[in-house]
Amino acid sequence: MEDWIIDLIKVVFIWVWCLLIAVVMTWVERRASAMMQDRLGPNRAGPFGLLQPLADGIKLFTKEEIIPEKAKKILYILGPALFAIPAFSAYAVVPFGDKIVIGGKEIILQVSDVNIGFLYVLAVGSMGVYGMVVGGWASNNKYSILGGLRSTAQLISYEVPMGLALLAVVLLYGTFSMREMVLAQQGTFLGFLPNWGIFKQPLGFLMFIVAAYAEAARVPFDLPEAESELVNGYHTEYGSMRLGLYLFGEYVNLGTLSGIMVSIYFGGWQLPYIDMSAFLGPVSYGIASFLVFFLKQAFFLFLFVWVRWTVPRFRYDQLMGLGWKSLIPLCLVNFFITALLVQLTV
Amino acid sequence: MPKPVVKKEYPLSVRIYLWEIIKGLGITWRHFVKNIRYSFRKGPHTVPTTWQYPEDRRPISPNFRGAHMLQLNEKGQELCVGCGMCAKACPAKCITVKRGKPADGEEDRYAGKTMCEEFTIDMLRCIFCGFCEEACPKNAIVLGQGHELAEYTMEACIYDKAKLIANFEEAKAAGKLKPKPKKVPVEAPPKAEAKKPAAKPAAKAAPKADKAKPAEKADAKKEGEDSKE
Repeated sequence: MEDWIIDLIKVVFIWVWCLLIAVVMTWVERRASAMMQDRLGPNRAGPFGLLQPLADGIKLFTKEEIIPEKAKKILYILGPALFAIPAFSAYAVVPFGDKIVIGGKEIILQVSDVNIGFLYVLAVGSMGVYGMVVGGWASNNKYSILGGLRSTAQLISYEVPMGLALLAVVLLYGTFSMREMVLAQQGTFLGFLPNWGIFKQPLGFLMFIVAAYAEAARVPFDLPEAESELVNGYHTEYGSMRLGLYLFGEYVNLGTLSGIMVSIYFGGWQLPYIDMSAFLGPVSYGIASFLVFFLKQAFFLFLFVWVRWTVPRFRYDQLMGLGWKSLIPLCLVNFFITALLVQLTV
Repeated sequence: MPKPVVKKEYPLSVRIYLWEIIKGLGITWRHFVKNIRYSFRKGPHTVPTTWQYPEDRRPISPNFRGAHMLQLNEKGQELCVGCGMCAKACPAKCITVKRGKPADGEEDRYAGKTMCEEFTIDMLRCIFCGFCEEACPKNAIVLGQGHELAEYTMEACIYDKAKLIANFEEAKAAGKLKPKPKKVPVEAPPKAEAKKPAAKPAAKAAPKADKAKPAEKADAKKEGEDSKE
């Protein structure tokens, strides 16, 4: 097989997989939140309401597409695309498995192992905010523009700690490639712990997960779309599949962020203490590594839902205060300690 | 004067906020697990807090005041004599009764000497107070357990005699007939005697029925509780 065909298959596969995760996540979010609040959630469509996302999709596709009269038309149409495309494309560098050997050809389970994968994730991840800002601006609605403004302020406060937290990881592993980072987490740490990033960078992980929640605009940092304050924030004026694209993009974003968390801090596709490649065949090892990665990712996806229904929303100034006054100093401390340790041990 | 803002000093452990979030996550997780476990529970009433109506139906007390029915006796004879007491007692004026004599050769279809030629209840007006039931000297009209009474047309909500008797047949088939208001004393006197003074038992029946009510209600309550458990 030609290389480009393999790449195409990988791209299509991961695209469909992202969509599938997003679809199932809408269902998980609604059912799990219901279960946490002693409600039932959607349980009519199909077994356990599993066909509910399909029903939602049909509804969103068949609804009338309304563009507000005084909206900026081009930007209004562009907004959802600007939001969804970066969400999908950030997945390109997430290694979703080790490697699989088919027909004597070794295939790396990652769309592309870019040697600046890390910077790519950061760059593309912050692109999604443009979708929010543009959508909010184009809607010509006070709530939308407030939501857009908030997302900008949030971006400025949280990109810095996120970048600093990740920079410490780069120091630790000495590489920008996501795949090499995962490979560096083999074996054990201090003799008994799995050699995962979380044990080497506990503070960094904490900073990163807080920044990730802010980046994904999820509770407790869902200020851009705070329902109780801003109607629905930046997508107040959106309807039909344009709204669907925003909602979908959000879940794809969650999937990407969970994938990054897993690959950097939780050993990617590796099981702790067990080396799967030792006793599994080349094909089954590829599938098993993919499944392990997915399970870890699923936990973090569920954590997003779990936290959402536990923690109340931060106030606007508290959010900024947390970002600038707590996270950035802590990240700098973490960075300094990491640098010191790396310098001393190497 | 606005209230002065008093800033509460929290200890560092609370101000870090992380431990508090973990405690909160614990609470949501407990609820999540509990509800997941309950949702796999067998039988009716699967969810801890609510009855899922179309799937779970609560047991209804036999004393319930639902859709009306015209009762038949054991021989399949209509009990109603068309006296119109129910129509008089009805506060919503939803009952229309027309008294008539049974046609020749049809006497054994009716328990009394007279019958109701026409008996309609406008269910759109009925308030389900049960006064008709109490007024009835023959225990002919009874409010049953039917409570899903929605229809597509207004005409369908006006129940005629055939519909009311059909209601009775349905309830009889389902074993959901209302227990008779007075239990033992009625059986004692033979039928021939009871028929002679037609007016008197009718007058007596009403107060007796009233007396019988509280005891019966208590029974019904007990039954209801039993079935709940």
